[in-house]
Amino acid sequence: MSLHRYELGFLLIILNIYSLGLIDAVNVTASDSAANPLQAPSYQSHGSSAVVSSPVYKPAVDSSYSINLLSSFPEDVEISEYCSEMLRLFGQRYVAYVNCLIPAARPVRVCQNCSPEYKSLSDVFLNISSDQMGPGNVSCRDSILRSDRLMLVFLLYGNLATIWEKSNCKQCVTTDFKGPNNDTLYYLTLLNQTITCFEKYKEGNHTELCKNCIPTYKDLNDMYSGMEKNSTLCIDLEDSMNMTRKLWSKNFGCSYPHGETIPVIAVSSFMLFLPIIFYLSSFLHSEQKKRKLIHPKRAKSHNSLMNIQDKQS
Amino acid sequence: MANITKKVSWSSRGDESGAAGEETPLLNGSEQSRPLRQMSSGSTVFQIGRLSTVDLDEEITTEEQDSARGRPKEIPHNEKLLSLKFESLDYDNIENQLFLEEERRMSFMAFRCLEISRWVICGLIGFLTGLIACFIDIAVEQLAGLKYKLIKENIVKFTEAGGLSISLLLWVALNSFCVMWGSIIVAFIEPIAAGSGIPQIKCFLNGVKVPRVVRLKTLVVKVVGVIFSVVGGLAVGKEGPMIHSGAVLAAGVSQGRSTSLKKDFKIFEYFRRDTEKRDFVSAGAAAGVSAAFGAPVGGVLFSLEEGASFWNQMLTWRIFFASMISTFTLNFFLSIYHNKPGELSNPGLINFGRFESEAMEYNLYEIPLFIAMGAIGGGLGAFFNFLNYWLTIFRIRYVHRPCLQVMEAMLVAAVTATVAFIMIYFSTDCQPLGPDHTEEYPLQLFCADGEYNSMATTFFNTPERSVRSLFHNPTGTYNSLTLGLFTLTYFFLACWTYGLAVSAGVFIPSLLIGAAWGRLCGILLASTTSTASMWADPGKYALIGAAAQLGGIVRMTLSLTVIMVEATGNVTYGLPIMLVLMTAKIVGDYFQEGLYDLHIKLGSVPFLHWEAPATSHWLTAREVMSSPVTCLNRIEKVGTIVDTLSNTSTNHNGFPVVVQVSGDDEPAKLCGLILRSQLIVLLKHKVFVELARSRLTQRKLQLKDFRDAYPRFPPIQSIHVSQDERECMMDLTEFMNPTPYTVPQDTSLPRVFKLFRALGLRHLVVVDDDNRVVGLVTRKDLARYHVGKHGLEELHLAQT
Repeated sequence: MSLHRYELGFLLIILNIYSLGLIDAVNVTASDSAANPLQAPSYQSHGSSAVVSSPVYKPAVDSSYSINLLSSFPEDVEISEYCSEMLRLFGQRYVAYVNCLIPAARPVRVCQNCSPEYKSLSDVFLNISSDQMGPGNVSCRDSILRSDRLMLVFLLYGNLATIWEKSNCKQCVTTDFKGPNNDTLYYLTLLNQTITCFEKYKEGNHTELCKNCIPTYKDLNDMYSGMEKNSTLCIDLEDSMNMTRKLWSKNFGCSYPHGETIPVIAVSSFMLFLPIIFYLSSFLHSEQKKRKLIHPKRAKSHNSLMNIQDKQS
Repeated sequence: MANITKKVSWSSRGDESGAAGEETPLLNGSEQSRPLRQMSSGSTVFQIGRLSTVDLDEEITTEEQDSARGRPKEIPHNEKLLSLKFESLDYDNIENQLFLEEERRMSFMAFRCLEISRWVICGLIGFLTGLIACFIDIAVEQLAGLKYKLIKENIVKFTEAGGLSISLLLWVALNSFCVMWGSIIVAFIEPIAAGSGIPQIKCFLNGVKVPRVVRLKTLVVKVVGVIFSVVGGLAVGKEGPMIHSGAVLAAGVSQGRSTSLKKDFKIFEYFRRDTEKRDFVSAGAAAGVSAAFGAPVGGVLFSLEEGASFWNQMLTWRIFFASMISTFTLNFFLSIYHNKPGELSNPGLINFGRFESEAMEYNLYEIPLFIAMGAIGGGLGAFFNFLNYWLTIFRIRYVHRPCLQVMEAMLVAAVTATVAFIMIYFSTDCQPLGPDHTEEYPLQLFCADGEYNSMATTFFNTPERSVRSLFHNPTGTYNSLTLGLFTLTYFFLACWTYGLAVSAGVFIPSLLIGAAWGRLCGILLASTTSTASMWADPGKYALIGAAAQLGGIVRMTLSLTVIMVEATGNVTYGLPIMLVLMTAKIVGDYFQEGLYDLHIKLGSVPFLHWEAPATSHWLTAREVMSSPVTCLNRIEKVGTIVDTLSNTSTNHNGFPVVVQVSGDDEPAKLCGLILRSQLIVLLKHKVFVELARSRLTQRKLQLKDFRDAYPRFPPIQSIHVSQDERECMMDLTEFMNPTPYTVPQDTSLPRVFKLFRALGLRHLVVVDDDNRVVGLVTRKDLARYHVGKHGLEELHLAQT
């Protein structure tokens, strides 16, 4: 509603602005005001001021100007030196972590490669979000995390935290996030052995490979199953196991053969044959159950079915 | 005085002989036959034979008739029979003088207390039903888990080493072993506990006294039996038995005692009447539905649909209370079991899971598709019922010995396992293991490492879990060949299984069949169009298919719709589910009756439907009634009464009391109606005119004495009347119902029917213009008319 009123009220001006090629900017403002009715007045005044001062938006104005649209606020509203330092640090480590993540996406190595980066990132975030007062008796939590609707820092960190959670990396690294833990290391050795074995016999006949690599592969598989049961797996291990299994079953075709089918067919056809015998024999040998009919006491002149048929015909 | 009270302690003895004697039948047919005539030698055996015919209402096979027509005709069992062993319940209040006296004595407070205790009982019913549901659920989960773990380990071992036929044998043996126990307790201990129990409860609520249907022993056999049969891997569910269990609990709790355990808690004595008991049984059935499906409203509506003759708002409200408590209890205890105490969002034994994702939304253009699926469901359901009908007839005729029944059940279990194994063995449908293991027991078999056999998720699982995975597994979990084969085999397995001598329900198998072909429809639809997103999720079609199949088999309407909606937890599915069930019912009814009605019919139960058969207005009470009637005088000689009661050929249950029997066939004026049970209590207490005169201190008989004997009145043979006493007189004025319902001779059948059905009568006296008794209408006189292929047909009465 406010949108309509707004647009109607400034229709002329909008038309005016259209010619200036600034329709986008106004539209954004308008829809924002519609979405946040509470904030609408302030936006409106802001918008109108913008519109009133529309002559400022000359085509000549470059984009860098619009970023610095607002002149800086007085000291007490601005974030403190300490907090902006924190923010800068956060940015650095954020970039570092993301830079580490992307090359590790395929094949997945995010836990092995990027855990320390996540650690340092989360340290900064923890610092920001804690309610402990930093130097100058300011808490950055409110000024950085909660001052605006967007809550950009929180959102950014949230994304990465979800990735971390999903990857389940915590299970594979030591408690100080410095490197893989013992289980993982052991698993990785097993994996390397298996892969080396695969490499060794890859050429030529795959049956050879299946026969020779089965001990290491089996060890690896068992190790993996054990870890799966304890739920101490992370995405790196899962992915590597998936790839190994695919190699094993699909590429080398080492999964179990269909085995001898004859005994299964024999046993099952025997089983299926049993009911036929059962029903036949009970049909032939069991005496059929008969029911004794009883003649009800009825008034003499009127009797049952014949009567019905009489009357109906 | 002392003498009399001592003699009164017969009830336990009567029970024993009664319990031994009632070799009766269950509805779905497997029953033990005891030719009655051959039993007439030997006093105890004689008694036994007699007792099973005590239930005769007013039908007679006199010796004269026998000799005149030769031996009674014997025919093979078929659906067009009415069994003599069923009698009516006494819903009609007997307003005799004792009753009026008691009412006068009761204070206002006493009535308030009664009302409160009704609520307490309903709460207890709900609570205990929930507990039983919880017990069944946990037991099945644990035992089935154990079984599947064992088999899975075995299969894994033998996949490597070869020799999978051993695994097959192991599976077969485990299944047969479980089912054997489940079947033995049913076939040898309590045959009435077989099947789902819903037809029996339907009959009970209709007013038919199905022998032993609400006993403690039945409950125990039912509960243990269902655990065994589900663990035994049969194509059955545990939901139907839950309803029966709830009903038995209700009947037991409301009486405040157990005659089987011979324990009387001396509470709730006022409720020891058929009228009150029926109300509680409907509450119990509702609580059972509610526990089974997590559908409290569905439960109430189930009771309403199946048993509503006397409904008032307070009763409905109480039943709803019981249902709610039952769901709540189940939730609560399951939450403890699942280590999340206090989390109450775990409703129902079968949990359909939540249908809330956006892919589950439906669109207007899908409605015709849903209706078409409903029609398919109706057709398939009718086919299912048709097959099961012939199978049941075969079972009644040829497979009636308990040991044969046990063998049959074991064979079915073995074949079920074999078929499942073959399907899994030869299936090539391999799917990658999901990140969150929705499959409890994934079988790899010959699939690549990290993948599992898709067929195994349907067969190698309890049916409940299979239903859930069909509803909720993401698109592409099953390929269409798997689903098609599964539907085909499971359809026949389920059809074969229903009616075995095991305690088992048909809800889950129906849902499973429907969900499988429904999902298949969804997949096929998606493959017809290039934009699969238009048809969204096959899980939705699985749900619709499940509803259609279930509706096609059981033909329930309102309650089933609400149950499905509640079980899915999504009200927006109300419309499609309703449309689907409607179509399924219409299409199905065109071919064949619903499964439960079919089994009621095959059980030869005198079931009264809602309406008298159409085109029966020309029949009058004169043609419907039984005549002549055995009447008693208001002041009758004890000898006459004893002779009348112990006449084996006339096991009447109600006797019109007349002013004075005149000549031989001349009817006399009606002044009341007295029941066999009342006469027996009177004889037992020796309420004779002469004794009353001689002993002034004699305690006056109260309504309590009648209630104490309820519901298992002793047979007449257990009452000893000496020669002297035979000459005494009995005054029935105080005890008879002085105002029985009567109709004139020319009343039409529908009118009689309406009166009978609406008031829950047991005897309806037909009188002439001078209020003289000319006939008596009972349930069997009315139930024998039904509309067949050739117009109105009459069912035969038979001894079963």
